[in-house]
Amino acid sequence: MAQMGLVQFSGHQHLRLRLVLSILSGKAVRIDKIRPDDKNPGLRDFEISLLRLLEKVTNGTVIEISVTGTAFLLKPGIISGGPLTHDCPLSRSIGYFLEPIVMLAPFAKKSFQLTLRGITTDDQDLSADLFRTGTLPHLQLFGISDGLELRIKKRGAPPAGGGEVQFLCPIVKQVKTLNFVEPGKIKRIRGVAHAVRVNPQFSNRMIEASRSILNRYIPDIYLYSDVYKGEESGKSPGYALSLLAESTTSALYCAEAISQPGVAPEDIALRAARALLTEIEKGGCVDRQHQQLVLLMMVLGSEDVSRCRMGVPTPRTIQFLRDIRSFFGTSFKIVSADPSDEDCSQLLYSCYGTGYVNANRTVA
Amino acid sequence: MEDRPHKAHRPSKTDKKDKGKGKEKQHGFNEKAFAPKSGRRADRQGRRNVERDQQRLHVPLVNRTPDSEPPPVIVAIVGPPGVGKTTLLKSLVRRYTKQTLNDVKGPVTVVSAKKRRLTFIECNNNLNSMIDIGKIADLVLLMIDASFGLEMETFEFLNILQAHGFPKVIGVLTHLDLIKKADTLKATKKSLKKRFWTEIYQGAKLFYLSGVLNGRYPDTEILNLSRFISVMKFRPLVFRNSHPYLLADRIEDLTPREQVRLSKGKCDRTVTVYGYIRGTNLRMGTKVHIPGVGDMDMESVSILGDPCPLPDADSEKRRKLSEKKKLVIHAPMSDVGGVMYDKDAVWINVPGSFTRGNTDVPQGEGEQMVMDLQDAEATLEAGVAQSQIRLLGSSSKHLTVGTLDDDDDSDGSEDESGSEEEEDSGFDSDAISDGDNNTEDPVPSAQNTGRKSRRDVARTLPAASSSRIPPDADVEYYESDSDLGDGDESVDLGRRFEMEDGDAFEIPSDDPMDEAEEEEEEDDEDENADAPKWKRNLAEQAQALSSNSQRRKDWMKLIYSSDLTPEEVLSGKDDRLMTVDEEDDDNDEFFRLKTVSRRVEDEEEIDSSKVVSSEEDLKKWVGEEALDSIRTLFITGTARQEGGGQEEYEEMGSDFEDLEAGDAAAPSASKPIDAEALQAAALAAKKEELKRKFDEQYDDPEASKADFYTEKKDEISRQLQLNMEEFKDVSAEARALVEGFRPGAYVRIELVDVPCEMIEHFDPSFPIVVGGLLAAEERFGYVQVRLKRHRWYVKTLKTNDPLIFSLGWRRFQSVPIYSLDDHSIRMRMLKYTPEHMHCYATFYGPVSLPNTGFCAFNTLVADTPGFRVSATGVVLDVDRSVKIVKKIKLTGVPYKIFKNTAFVKDMFNSALEVAKFEGANIRTVSGIRGQVKKGLSKPDGAFRATFEDKVLMSDIIFLRAWYSIQPRKFYNPVTSLLLLDKSKWEGMRLTGQVRRDEGIKTPLSVNSTYKRIERPERRFNPLVIPKKLQAALPYASKPRIMKPQQRETYMQKRAVVMEPEERKAVALLQQIRALRKDQVARRKEKKSGKRAMHQKKLEAEEERKSEKVKERKKEVMRGIGKKSKREADVEEGRGPKRRKT
Repeated sequence: MAQMGLVQFSGHQHLRLRLVLSILSGKAVRIDKIRPDDKNPGLRDFEISLLRLLEKVTNGTVIEISVTGTAFLLKPGIISGGPLTHDCPLSRSIGYFLEPIVMLAPFAKKSFQLTLRGITTDDQDLSADLFRTGTLPHLQLFGISDGLELRIKKRGAPPAGGGEVQFLCPIVKQVKTLNFVEPGKIKRIRGVAHAVRVNPQFSNRMIEASRSILNRYIPDIYLYSDVYKGEESGKSPGYALSLLAESTTSALYCAEAISQPGVAPEDIALRAARALLTEIEKGGCVDRQHQQLVLLMMVLGSEDVSRCRMGVPTPRTIQFLRDIRSFFGTSFKIVSADPSDEDCSQLLYSCYGTGYVNANRTVA
Repeated sequence: MEDRPHKAHRPSKTDKKDKGKGKEKQHGFNEKAFAPKSGRRADRQGRRNVERDQQRLHVPLVNRTPDSEPPPVIVAIVGPPGVGKTTLLKSLVRRYTKQTLNDVKGPVTVVSAKKRRLTFIECNNNLNSMIDIGKIADLVLLMIDASFGLEMETFEFLNILQAHGFPKVIGVLTHLDLIKKADTLKATKKSLKKRFWTEIYQGAKLFYLSGVLNGRYPDTEILNLSRFISVMKFRPLVFRNSHPYLLADRIEDLTPREQVRLSKGKCDRTVTVYGYIRGTNLRMGTKVHIPGVGDMDMESVSILGDPCPLPDADSEKRRKLSEKKKLVIHAPMSDVGGVMYDKDAVWINVPGSFTRGNTDVPQGEGEQMVMDLQDAEATLEAGVAQSQIRLLGSSSKHLTVGTLDDDDDSDGSEDESGSEEEEDSGFDSDAISDGDNNTEDPVPSAQNTGRKSRRDVARTLPAASSSRIPPDADVEYYESDSDLGDGDESVDLGRRFEMEDGDAFEIPSDDPMDEAEEEEEEDDEDENADAPKWKRNLAEQAQALSSNSQRRKDWMKLIYSSDLTPEEVLSGKDDRLMTVDEEDDDNDEFFRLKTVSRRVEDEEEIDSSKVVSSEEDLKKWVGEEALDSIRTLFITGTARQEGGGQEEYEEMGSDFEDLEAGDAAAPSASKPIDAEALQAAALAAKKEELKRKFDEQYDDPEASKADFYTEKKDEISRQLQLNMEEFKDVSAEARALVEGFRPGAYVRIELVDVPCEMIEHFDPSFPIVVGGLLAAEERFGYVQVRLKRHRWYVKTLKTNDPLIFSLGWRRFQSVPIYSLDDHSIRMRMLKYTPEHMHCYATFYGPVSLPNTGFCAFNTLVADTPGFRVSATGVVLDVDRSVKIVKKIKLTGVPYKIFKNTAFVKDMFNSALEVAKFEGANIRTVSGIRGQVKKGLSKPDGAFRATFEDKVLMSDIIFLRAWYSIQPRKFYNPVTSLLLLDKSKWEGMRLTGQVRRDEGIKTPLSVNSTYKRIERPERRFNPLVIPKKLQAALPYASKPRIMKPQQRETYMQKRAVVMEPEERKAVALLQQIRALRKDQVARRKEKKSGKRAMHQKKLEAEEERKSEKVKERKKEVMRGIGKKSKREADVEEGRGPKRRKT
């Protein structure tokens, strides 16, 4: 048996994306020095849970964790998909687990029907709402659309959680090549305000407040108030506002704000609206939250040049670009989107796809 | 010259008067003649045309091969031995290059047209070669001996082609001159054509070549063939269109000679292969597979100058290929052409004898140079040493050159060379050939016999490698540690002549590029190799950056070739700092402390892709003007901040959002003229765009609603256009980094850890294919395929028998399990492949993408009788585990029977086993169904079972279960290229074969012996019905028992007394009967005698006939023997075996 390429990393940062790249590229990954100097060294419970989830969605994955938990080796198997359920720990929200799954799901053997239980919205990760309205449309850019769905069955606010989402994703043979350089202009703004186990009036108040900022720009603003009751509203009280702006070329910008103790819903709404404006101001065709997803799908495209215009890379994106190179050997060409304009902060990312074909897919 | 008048045109042969007449006759398409006669017919005709149009369409496929500089088309010449492959190859090469090759080996590349090159390769009669050639050939010239007919190898090859995507095939019939009779010739042609057409497709091209003239086929026939080759169009094949690959036309061993010597030639080699990239872009970081050798990592890839370049722009103007360009030929393994370009050297092969004074050889520049070098009488060093320079006129001693060390060195080397000279007389020529000391031996030695010997060495490279090591090269190697990385400079490559690359030869000097590449690739792993260069380079770059007053970052460099953390990249840390950091990294212990502290800081950072804007960022949006500043980003917004013309412009073209233009205009407001010019330009561009759109719509209103096919085609071409343009302005090395090496480029691939046998046993007549692997294909797993035993393969295939697969690039042996889908419930194992039906097969091996075709063989050796392709199929699924079950029946017997309950034994061994099967369905042979209830304690493994009816003690009870099995993890690549005799590869053998080979008897189990089955006669007791019951039965049901009659019957009791007439009559009858009997007996006797006579006669006849047949057979055999003898004479012992289909 041929020795498979092994990629080594140190540190706990960027763990999820490295695992995703490892599974997609088929190269084994070894990560060591995971919080070696911490009072509580080694992998955290959510990271262990993530590894377990990845073991569940794949077939033949071997995970070896060292005794101290500060190092582990992952030999990836194939992505199997199918109906699955996973209970997420309360230390991180569902978004933490959903993010790598979204990257893997289109390349599985069977279409994904993953049920995740835990916290649906918190201030660390993308909420289930933004996943539904923001992340999934990004997958549609790459031809992954039919049957792509995220159902929020129950909402669960921190700290006790109790939410449940179901993620359905079709499989594809190959993702489409992206050529997205026209950011367009914002034509509509949508949003979801939800409140669980609190006064349902809170969501209306949030909507009012955010409209006070956004109304000046365009009239096409619909903010939905989404109230869950009883069993479906989870175990803890909480509320949040997630906003989504869409441009004429269907570029999406999203932002959200989560309830905090002692802060009025109006302030939360203002914060969300201003965060959205920040994203819009950064421009590009993809907002900062989805840079990695889009870049990954560009790399996995057919052997053609794909281009995308985006803002300045976030630190995570920079590391991700480096990781992509160590796993796939692909580098991006990154130039200013508008060479004639010196102030233009937007960049044009172009790469030559690896021609990644879903080898897991069964024919006939 | 100029004032000489041009020759007048020849007058046309057809008379002008005739032209008028011709009009009436009007040749060609006569529209009226084909006009439909009725409306119905018109309708049908129209429909048919539309259907035909649709039939012509193929699924639009992207062709990854660039149109501008495509790689040469691979034309493979395939056929059984003695059919004339080499002759055809020579004829074709002569047709294209006007050169006659004496000894063709390996691929031969020629320029055939302005935009087309051809690589000819001859395929030998080895199945491994046929498989490899079938995977790479673009066009196959399939040669058939018409005097003999189609042979088994031809059919095997066609089946291999079919499994791996069918390339274009042209049939070539040869030996037509051997058929003397015109009628036979015609019939043969017809029948062969028919057979050929059924194999390929109706109307496949078939060429006829008559006899050989001057060792070539007739020029006119070859010309025709070459015309057909030149207009051939190729449709991309799916597998080749998704994999990069290369047909190596040259292979060199770069292993340091010393290493080879020390290991007695057994060390792993560093090897470079050269060839044109085909298929898709070849990228670094992927693995390659060389069929017959194995998977390998590419150490480096570099583009070399094209050894067989297409005509360039100046000759482009001509319609035809110029005569000069026609002479280009590239065939390194056959060693023609003379000059060879390596990465950093040029090899000149001098034709003819290499002794001085030999004037009949044409002397070019290269030859002259080498001759001049030979003229030197002593080395420069020797010259200097001999010259006696005195510093002062008065000093008595002249200066000595060279330190003590140097002397030692040279002494040592001389010693070494001396000793080697003793053992190897051919050493002198080696010493000459070494580029560094080419002035060493001024005496032209007798061994320098020029071409012949040199060619040998070029081919049998490894032979030279074992013992002949030029001493000085060695020394140099040890002294220069900086050259450790690229050892090829100091390595002696046979008896060729090396020149430092100068301007005289147009060699693309790849050195800087390579270094840059290395630098980028190995940025943090090993900087030790060329640290100083690295630093210098960086410093320059940093300076360039800082001098470039722009603040703009070079993101690619910052991300990919710096060691900065992402945060530092964003905060705009300088490059210069980075280099300092790196230095620290190398030799400073303090740096570690720093990283630790940094890591502790990072502890707070969480792994989250959500970007949470800080409060300060959000505060920005409190003011009104901040809010207004992004109004332009919304559809309702207009550019307010500019005013004047800008606003108008924005409003006018609100349909076209042009963000960049707006932004671009902003800073240039200080320069109003500039701004105006810009505006004007933008306006003009806009107008242009509108005009174009209008024109398009006006000219072709149908264009907007193009059909699916054209739409797809347009999309593909647009994407290809983008691919070409996107990286046009990027430097070559960055481009290689980003998109890899394009198809059509001539590259040199360095492979490390190549098994030494590949070099030691290298044979240029076996093709070396370098196939790139996709990421998925490097992995291993269980591959499920749909498989069908080939209908010409005589045996069936058995589960767990090893089978050789040719799948993807690879050839390997694995152990498949055959199975069938049992009503979508389970995958059920089959012991044997079904007849005339597909089945599934699952085996362990390298992953291939679903829908890849394959073919399988039981053996690859040549002397197998019959058809060797045993199965073909396609990959369906790839997984890490399989679920195949085989049926298992557990049997038991009842030992106690109650009504519907029975106690069963002998099915299980323990109560535990029974517990596992509680509730399982069981059945008797007679079909009574039942269930396992509960285990019994007393006899181990007995259980209680209930049935739907009472079972008998004689019933056998069985339980049907499914046992899951896994294919064996066996993968054995066919390493045929590593063998000395490449046709003798032997994989895992079957047990029977091993026993046969080793002479071991099959162990005989006593239980398995065949014995006579003794079945005791079954005795059935008579049915006894109790008297009481009988009495109670109704009359109809009462058994009717009758005793045999005791008394005499009435008739028996009577005595018969006959009357005299009666008695007479009876006597007469008796006599007649007796007579008759006698008559019959006599007749019978007579008949049998006659029959015997007839039999004898027949036998005699038969004997006579058989005598005749024997005679005739003898005659035929004599004829065959004569023919084979003649053939053998012609072929000189080539291909002793020939199998008639």
